[in-house]
Amino acid sequence: MPRHRLTSFHFAVLAAAAGASALGGASRPAQAAGKTVITCAYSETYVFDNEDLTKKWWGGVKADFERMHPDVTVQLEPIQGGYDDILNKLSLLYRSPATAPDIAQMATPMVDRIASAGYLLPLDKFLATTAWWKRFPPAIQQEAMWQGKTYGVTTGENDFMLYYDVTLFKKAGLPVPWKPMSWNDILAAGRVVKAKLPGVVPIWILAGSGAGDFSVLMGVNMLLPGSSTPTIFDDKTQKWVVDSPGLREVFGFFHSVFSEGMGGKLSDLFSESSNNDPIFMMPKHQIAIAFGGNWYGGNWSKLVSTPYWPEASKIAAVVAVPTVNGKAPNISTMVSGWDLAVSATTKTPALTLQLLDLMESKENQINAANWAGWVPGDSDYVKDPEFINFAPPYNELSAVILPFGITEPATGDYLVWSRGVQEATAALAQHPNTSVDQAIKILSDYVSNQLDPSQTEVLK
Amino acid sequence: MKGDVAERPDGVAFLLLLPTAILLLGLFVGPVLYAFYLGLTNIALMGPTARHFHFTGMANLHRLARDSLFWESLKLTAIFVAASAIVGVTVVGMALAVLIQHAVAWLRAAVGAIVVVAWMLPPLTAALIWYAFSTSGGTLSLLGGSSRLDVLDSFPMTVVCLANIWATAGFSMLVLSAGLRSVPTEVLEAGRMEGASRWRVFCFLTLPIMKPTIVTNILLVTLLSLGNFSLIYIMTGGGPGNATDILPIYSYQQALVFGKLGYGALLGDVVVIIATIFAYLYVRMSRTTRMAAA
Repeated sequence: MPRHRLTSFHFAVLAAAAGASALGGASRPAQAAGKTVITCAYSETYVFDNEDLTKKWWGGVKADFERMHPDVTVQLEPIQGGYDDILNKLSLLYRSPATAPDIAQMATPMVDRIASAGYLLPLDKFLATTAWWKRFPPAIQQEAMWQGKTYGVTTGENDFMLYYDVTLFKKAGLPVPWKPMSWNDILAAGRVVKAKLPGVVPIWILAGSGAGDFSVLMGVNMLLPGSSTPTIFDDKTQKWVVDSPGLREVFGFFHSVFSEGMGGKLSDLFSESSNNDPIFMMPKHQIAIAFGGNWYGGNWSKLVSTPYWPEASKIAAVVAVPTVNGKAPNISTMVSGWDLAVSATTKTPALTLQLLDLMESKENQINAANWAGWVPGDSDYVKDPEFINFAPPYNELSAVILPFGITEPATGDYLVWSRGVQEATAALAQHPNTSVDQAIKILSDYVSNQLDPSQTEVLK
Repeated sequence: MKGDVAERPDGVAFLLLLPTAILLLGLFVGPVLYAFYLGLTNIALMGPTARHFHFTGMANLHRLARDSLFWESLKLTAIFVAASAIVGVTVVGMALAVLIQHAVAWLRAAVGAIVVVAWMLPPLTAALIWYAFSTSGGTLSLLGGSSRLDVLDSFPMTVVCLANIWATAGFSMLVLSAGLRSVPTEVLEAGRMEGASRWRVFCFLTLPIMKPTIVTNILLVTLLSLGNFSLIYIMTGGGPGNATDILPIYSYQQALVFGKLGYGALLGDVVVIIATIFAYLYVRMSRTTRMAAA
């Protein structure tokens, strides 16, 4: 579960830690007391649902591998902070072979950036020898490819869906179970809630830049895959789409939500933790419909207890986000994973790949999925009762919608487009009279200014 | 009075200054020059140019010239610094200093302590206090009668300026209090004897006498505010939109969010140049003050 974006405090700690690890790393022996050392870098606080579960999973992997290989020490190097901190810390660690982690866990879009810098080992030969890789859906196999080679293997995927409060729906006289067939159905339900239940947020969808790219992933990008034109980056022309019928449909949805007063409070939407607010607000019946992540359900389980919400499965129902006009299969979601990658400079490639193999075992994949709020990559494990029954009905739906998901463009400039979208939705949320044309102009101007007008494109 | 030492440098003085000079060159001048070089390269945090970056001549400067966000950011920086440094120093700092001078001893001690504590707080704490104070559901919205009242997002620049003034007023108060105490009482008494009101004495005697202190203080607070990344980053992250995107934040965003280290470094260089100008003015001002005093 991705949680907080970084603060400058984190950044200071990161800088200090990077400095310290650079100093310490320079003298880090590959062999300590006759033992081979394999280093693993991963997020301590951002990826798993809480720090205890991070320790449990990584500690378990370490203990198992050291039991299987008594002459090996698995050295864990947790990274503090949020999404940007993980990328920044890894960028610094990879700069020297002495500090480059043998295995690192990173968000899928980071793999492309790190691989293109030449820091990662292609994994194709190794993957061909494993039993599990063949069972990964093609889209997931290809998500961490760069120039035709695979550099990352997923530990699990996030996708996105609609949560709605059954109690509030009944109170407002809306049908339960609810199956919105189009975006207009969502708006219509929101309007009923707005009229009948004052004080409740009718439609929770993220706007602005509080949670960085997550404000887009759980805002515009929840709808764009189901719009008439989902393209963000045009592979043929190598240009960024800043105006398209799809974007106009999405901004139109935002315009309706915010101009009719159906959105969340600005201070909540613009806060760093906004991507997880519904986990806390839904048990208090403060939100009727939430565009949320697949990990919310697991967070209400007894094991994770972000808050423990025993009635969650009866009250917070889930349904796939529909497409704009109900076109089959009527599912709109992005997928975004956390991958394992191996350093190009690892001194012990064979052992490191064995460790990677262990991390992808059935038990480790399912535990990771349950403890971090993911869908496992292996298409067999998504049907396993251990996974399905951990957080019903959420895990089941997340597995059903996964194959329909599309991924964010992996090039670094995606974050520029994302920031442009953040500015556009901030305006739509904050100034309800902002028109769709104005929002498109904000996005277009931002991307043109940051990159170049020649790198932008209008789709008709 | 000219210093003899400056005209005839001797070997011992040179030797004694050498360690400091080496430290300054190695830890300050060197990195700054390197940052200027990086500002003219295409170095990226990640991607193909992370390791194999090269000098790109004027490319980044051309981009800077037509980057409307940079110019907007420069304007926001000027507003933030001017509002914080000038208003914060001349109005709040001076008002506190004058009030404290005329207050009874216990009140002077209490107010002085509170203001200085505010100044001593780490930027993180000050930012969190102001965030909690001004966001919806915070103290200000409760005082305003509606928990939905969101002062921070409605008037972001005003709130971050107030927060910065709040956090630096203690420093100004200390400096200006010292300045006030150094105003010769006989001059003020002479003014009073001539029949000038308290206000006129303050405007036409105290302020002109304190001018060097005030200017020095403005310059110092300007420098402090120019580099105040943490306060705004924690409170608004430069937003909403670009409403509080001052140069240090924009530079951070380019370098460590978009991964464009080269362009980020160039933006940082602009901050260095602006700070250098203010630092030069500060040094010049304090030298003139010292010479005038001598």
